[in-house]
Amino acid sequence: MISEITIGQYYTGDSLLHRMDPRMKFDLTFLLVVFVFACKSFFSLALVAMFTLVAILFSSVPLKMILRSIKPIVIIILFTAVLNIIYTTGGETYFKWRSIEITEKGINTAIFMAVRIILLVVISSLLTYTTTPTSLTDAIERLLSPLSVFHIKVHTLAMMMTLALRFIPTLIEEIDRIMNAQKARGAELETGGLIARSKALVPVFIPLMVSSFRRAYELAFAMTCRCYTGGEGRTRMKQMKLRARDFLALFTVIAVIAGIFVLNHFFEAVI
Amino acid sequence: MMAPALEIKNLTHYYYKGTKNQIAAVENVSLTVEKGETLGIIGHTGSGKSTLISHFNGLLKPDEGEVIVDGKNIFENKETLRQSRFKVGLCFQYPEYQLFEETVYKDIAFGPKNMKLPSEEIDRRVQNAAKLAGVKQELLNKSPFDLSGGEKRRAAIAGVMSMEPEVLVLDEPAAGLDPAGRLDLIKMIRHYRDVTGCTVIIVSHSMEDIARIADRVCVLANAKVAMHGTVKEVYSKGDELRSMGLNVPEITRIMLMLREKGIDVPADIYSPDDAVSAVRNYIEGRRGV
Ligand SMILES: Nc1ncnc2c1ncn2[C@@H]1O[C@H](COP(=O)(O)OP(=O)(O)O)[C@@H](O)[C@H]1O
Ligand SMILES: [Mg+2]
Repeated sequence: MISEITIGQYYTGDSLLHRMDPRMKFDLTFLLVVFVFACKSFFSLALVAMFTLVAILFSSVPLKMILRSIKPIVIIILFTAVLNIIYTTGGETYFKWRSIEITEKGINTAIFMAVRIILLVVISSLLTYTTTPTSLTDAIERLLSPLSVFHIKVHTLAMMMTLALRFIPTLIEEIDRIMNAQKARGAELETGGLIARSKALVPVFIPLMVSSFRRAYELAFAMTCRCYTGGEGRTRMKQMKLRARDFLALFTVIAVIAGIFVLNHFFEAVI
Repeated sequence: MMAPALEIKNLTHYYYKGTKNQIAAVENVSLTVEKGETLGIIGHTGSGKSTLISHFNGLLKPDEGEVIVDGKNIFENKETLRQSRFKVGLCFQYPEYQLFEETVYKDIAFGPKNMKLPSEEIDRRVQNAAKLAGVKQELLNKSPFDLSGGEKRRAAIAGVMSMEPEVLVLDEPAAGLDPAGRLDLIKMIRHYRDVTGCTVIIVSHSMEDIARIADRVCVLANAKVAMHGTVKEVYSKGDELRSMGLNVPEITRIMLMLREKGIDVPADIYSPDDAVSAVRNYIEGRRGV
């Protein structure tokens, strides 16, 4: 059933990571993702991996959920690993068949790349697991606010994003409801070929459009009634405030980044 | 003996099954609806009414239990499931949101078309359903989106009636209408039942509406059948109903209060008109003494 699809992947909790300021979380995630690319040796990568593991422990998100975030990209990981094994050569040769050569360097690179991709995904999903979509857009709005110098309406964009996110579950529910109503009138939505199926969606799609416009008008009306006029002079209910834990996290991340360079310097580079 | 129109045996349905959020929306419910009978299903919001009726034509599959329409288990195979869609016409709450065709006529014809009926038969059914549901002839060629709220509701109900189901199930058909509109709609359904002789199941949380139409009432509370019986039997248990967040009709409450004061008026009064004549009878009876 459609309602079982989950969009956005917030994991409800009250951990240290959940309570952190979303702006700081967003910035630190960004920094870490960038500096994962600066890792040259296994040791610097291991440092980031260790930090990520500690962060997971502090997030109260079960390991099962974390693994679930990796699942969709397993194919990509395997694919890049195979390509790396085949196309990177150097060091000792383990296996040779015609032009295909599997070497020490190839295997090392493949493992390195795989770990790097996994780390990137885990770090960014840790952000979405511990931050509600709404506070995430709030954070993005704040972080992008300098762009208003170029007459870009950052607040409007963020509000659109928040509303879109807010209405995803509503729309899913609505689709479910309309599909049931049409099925009750004998509509066959789940059988037939591609063309038959897309034709069968018309009775679902039209009521959905109609009700989405109705909702949009109602919402706009309700917002106007509450004197919403856009971002100017608007204060927030939830004030974002940096606290000690945010600075603690910042210093830890800076230490990790410094560590990356130190380890890069002392150990052999893989790539 | 004739097979009942619809039989529900020990039906249980869970949402979020197998997760920590698992809830039983319907729990061990058994029901029998005889042919030609009108059953009212009543219950507080969230008591599982809509979930229960979505099983009647196989839109939801029970986690436990059986749904038997006209003597056949509807989940036996694909064909019985398909047939159940046509035998049991399900009209959801706010059915006007399912309208989609260019004209009201085409929308009412959607169900019969899916039944692959010949076009003369479709035409007959559309005209008949429109008349039964009180959709005026001149509206049939209009866009359904140009209709008023009440007209849309009737057009959508006609869209289910046009399948000529053996059992018509209506989920809160009068929701969101004003009192006069509610009364009109209930009258329309009563007329439909009297003309076609069909089995009708009507879901509501309004005791007034149910009293106006149902022969029997089934009260759902917390996913279970809490009471079951004729309107009179169920409505006489005002205290129990109140504990389930339901209330007997206002006018019935007044009659009960009069009885408590020792005024001997009947307790099974569900409409103000009946109350007026009952009180008049009482007064005249006393004068006669
Ligand atoms: N699609 C759904 N997914 C999850 N839970 C649902 C869904 N539909 C209903 N429920 C839950 O099941 C219970 C019964 O709901 P419902 O059958 O709609 O009751 P009613 O129609 O009597 O108001 C409620 O607790 C409701 O929150
Ligand atoms: Mg309901």
